[in-house]
Amino acid sequence: MLAEKLPQPKFEFPYQKDSDELLKALNQEYPFLEDLKFSLAVDKQLVQEKTPLKGSEEIALLPPFSGG
Amino acid sequence: MSRFERQTILPDFGHEGQQKLKAARVLVVGAGGLGCPALLHLAAAGVGTIGIADGDNISESNLNRQTLFGQQHTGRPKAETAAELLKEKYPDITFNVIPEFLNNKNALEILSGYDLVLDGSDNFGTRYMINDACMLLNKPLVMGAIYQYEGQVTVFNYGETPVNYRDLYPDPPQSHEVPNCSETGVLGVLPGLIGTLQATEAIKIISGLGKVLTNKVLFYNLKTSGFFEVAVSPNSDSEKGIPSSEDAFRSKDYNITCGLSENISWEKALDWKQNLKSSILVDIREPDEEPLLKREDIDQIPISVLAEDQERVRSFENIILFCKSGQRSDRMAGELKKQFPEKKVFSVEGGILHPASPVNSEEK
Repeated sequence: MLAEKLPQPKFEFPYQKDSDELLKALNQEYPFLEDLKFSLAVDKQLVQEKTPLKGSEEIALLPPFSGG
Repeated sequence: MSRFERQTILPDFGHEGQQKLKAARVLVVGAGGLGCPALLHLAAAGVGTIGIADGDNISESNLNRQTLFGQQHTGRPKAETAAELLKEKYPDITFNVIPEFLNNKNALEILSGYDLVLDGSDNFGTRYMINDACMLLNKPLVMGAIYQYEGQVTVFNYGETPVNYRDLYPDPPQSHEVPNCSETGVLGVLPGLIGTLQATEAIKIISGLGKVLTNKVLFYNLKTSGFFEVAVSPNSDSEKGIPSSEDAFRSKDYNITCGLSENISWEKALDWKQNLKSSILVDIREPDEEPLLKREDIDQIPISVLAEDQERVRSFENIILFCKSGQRSDRMAGELKKQFPEKKVFSVEGGILHPASPVNSEEK
């Protein structure tokens, strides 16, 4: 629902100073993200509050799944 | 010679681990794609008491992934059939058939009879409901879920720093945030893997074996054969979403409608009608339906008319529909959203019968 709409399963994204800014920039670049629910992970740690970024981190967008 | 010899000779498991499995009571919610493989392995491993909760019947399109069942079982109830098939294989195990869907009215009572819950349900409403119930009753919850070629599995409410579903996703998605929560495709082997991982974690928790998959979520991508782990910490904010008492739990609304529309409250509906540019609030009940509601800010377009002719709503950006109970408006909003994907279409939750509707609130 998310991966198939992004240009690539993995891609580089311009540097943002923290996770809030990153989310904003992602929403701007890919407006459909605003209508989707997902959590962010920075270097395999779930983002639960604003997290500063250095620029080299691996970011993952994690949508919830409901299927069973 | 014992059925469990190959387990009891394991150094870290032994007779003690086997004894723990025998004494354990596990509830499997959903005897579907995740539930079938989980049930099979829990039973084969020797879990003494297994509850199987599912209100559904077996249909042919289930068979690619619901591996307990075969062609001859179509049309039969899932929970009962699963118990029957497993009982035949392992007559010494107790199977409790719960031939209904869990909801916030029956969940606490049902869950309280078990030590551990394995969530193999197939919708967000049930997933949040089970999460909250397990938090209230303090039961470990083994969660698994799939979407097309991807799966996730984790253990909630267990260990020294327990986390729960709301730490991952604080609130359930709105229906418009789930692009298609009706049936999506799934390669049958995917829930087979995820359900088996869930059973594995359940067995580890019960027997005290190894390191349980808690405080991290395991993601699996079938296409890339990739496993990806994400660490999760407890988050005090997540508690806000969990009902504070059993009574609050029973009165919480866990329904997430799977229309393409979004449900909103009367308060929001009236506020948006007044303050959002280009919005229309529509009573879609038929003209003879009581109670009547005539207000300047409400348009009357019966659903029978609106289904055929959308001319009167076409020029608005925000279309808010209500009916008597919220069901028809939700369905109609879904239809309108399909026709006008660029518009925002809402259904007023609970309709005119809702205590906060203008009919009820103005009388007071």
